[in-house]
Amino acid sequence: MTMDWLIDWTLSSWLGFLGSPGAFILAAVVGGLAIFGLVAVHAIVAVYVERKVSAFMQDRIGPMGQGPGLHAGKWGVLQTVADALKLLLKEDIIPALADRRLFILAPFILFMGAFIGFVAIPFAPALVLADFNVGLFYILAVSSFGVLGLILAGWASNNKWSLYGAMRSAAQIISYEIPAAISLLAVVILAGTLNLQSLTAAQQGTILGFLPNWFIFQNPFTFMAFFIYFIAAVAETNRTPFDIPEAESELVAGFHTEYSGMRWAFFFLSEYANMFIVCAVAAVVFLGGWTSPLGELLSGPLWGLFWFMVKVIFLVLIMMWFRWTFPRLRVDQLMNVSWKVLLPWSFINLLGSALWWLWRS
Amino acid sequence: MGRYLKNIWQTIVTMLIGMGVTSGHLFRARRGNVTLQYPEERWPQPQRDIGFDHDRYNVIRSKLHVDIDDCIGCYQCERACPVACIKIETVKVPKGTDIGTTSNDTKKRMLVTRFDIDMSECCFCNLCTYPCPEDCIYMTGGPNSHKQPLDYEYSTYNRDDLIFRFADLEPEVVERLTKPPLEQEI
Repeated sequence: MTMDWLIDWTLSSWLGFLGSPGAFILAAVVGGLAIFGLVAVHAIVAVYVERKVSAFMQDRIGPMGQGPGLHAGKWGVLQTVADALKLLLKEDIIPALADRRLFILAPFILFMGAFIGFVAIPFAPALVLADFNVGLFYILAVSSFGVLGLILAGWASNNKWSLYGAMRSAAQIISYEIPAAISLLAVVILAGTLNLQSLTAAQQGTILGFLPNWFIFQNPFTFMAFFIYFIAAVAETNRTPFDIPEAESELVAGFHTEYSGMRWAFFFLSEYANMFIVCAVAAVVFLGGWTSPLGELLSGPLWGLFWFMVKVIFLVLIMMWFRWTFPRLRVDQLMNVSWKVLLPWSFINLLGSALWWLWRS
Repeated sequence: MGRYLKNIWQTIVTMLIGMGVTSGHLFRARRGNVTLQYPEERWPQPQRDIGFDHDRYNVIRSKLHVDIDDCIGCYQCERACPVACIKIETVKVPKGTDIGTTSNDTKKRMLVTRFDIDMSECCFCNLCTYPCPEDCIYMTGGPNSHKQPLDYEYSTYNRDDLIFRFADLEPEVVERLTKPPLEQEI
């Protein structure tokens, strides 16, 4: 949508001489840079917030230096900027026995899997780079693309820890994608569309006059589906309590043990980008995307962007809350939760949601 | 099946309890924090009166200090030091030149031009303080702690900064005082 608008604008302005392929490339570059900016800013802010949240939860105060005026600065606000600069300037080490080409390729594949998912996310009523008819399916498909990068990283490092981490993450992500996808299907049945903009538009209005007409509130099955999806999403992003692929106490750092400097930063960047994506999907599918929680009040293009970001950031904060509350699951417990608990209940949700739809129509 | 459902229910309940605990800490972060922001804040100094007789014991051996005005340059502390971390150099003054007295009214005969203590080598044995006839070398924090504030950190960026130089005589002063008395008057 925004992409088409960018192409039209390019062709009608003084850049018209580029022709339609040139305009397409220009629009893709502009859109890509905007997404990259969002991902980078989100990562920098979220790392800072995560460090502060974790510190407060453990009765510490977190980073306090590096702000304007350095040590006397305010609450360490520039800590992650300094960290990012450090990572950019660090030596890039590739182990002698690593598979060099795959080792270099892996972080980019992982990052790309997170990055291209942003294309389909509806930030506001008119702000979505490409308005796919199968947007939800597209995001699910490309976010499972990242596991390839993960396995490549583990394999190419030529290191036991890395390989174990990669194997574990493959098992974990494959297991948890199923309940996540089936939980989303429970909503797709009700909405009858995979297009994220129409999914959001279907949630405008209110239920009983006060509850927003979000899918999470529409029936008990979608309510449960939200929690199943969210737990599975935490597992898909490899975050605690599902962080067995990078379990520090067992595997040092898992698949990114051998990485340093900028390549390591790409792993981190894609972790936070993945967090944003899964939370954005949860916000769009269950929490009404850019629709206002106050009905018609405070709704509009800019308010839409505001409400969308508020919902996503709220869910990201909940993920951080999870991380600093729960201990890591064992491998067998992890599989147990996925196959014996989440999967049967997500099937019940799917069935119940379908029956609900039949009953209502 | 009953046990399965009960497990799920207990998981949800205990998860919520755990999240309640952490959010409780999150929202009273300002009150409960245990971090000491070291250079700006410091722990209070340790309580020095812990039941020892301060006349006989140095309760805390923090740092050697020399009251250089009282030093007569007798070398006793340098000889007593088991790790040789005290370095003293003295210059004799000609007869008849008055360079003052110590607090104990002992007439000083030597100019102490160098009195260096390398605290990175000091083993805090306190052996140098006993032979001092003028009680001018002592551990801070001990019986003489009223003379010197307790500095238990004295951290530095450079190891050489741990060599404390107590001699405070200017070379010109030394040169003037070591001339024969006749020349001094001119």
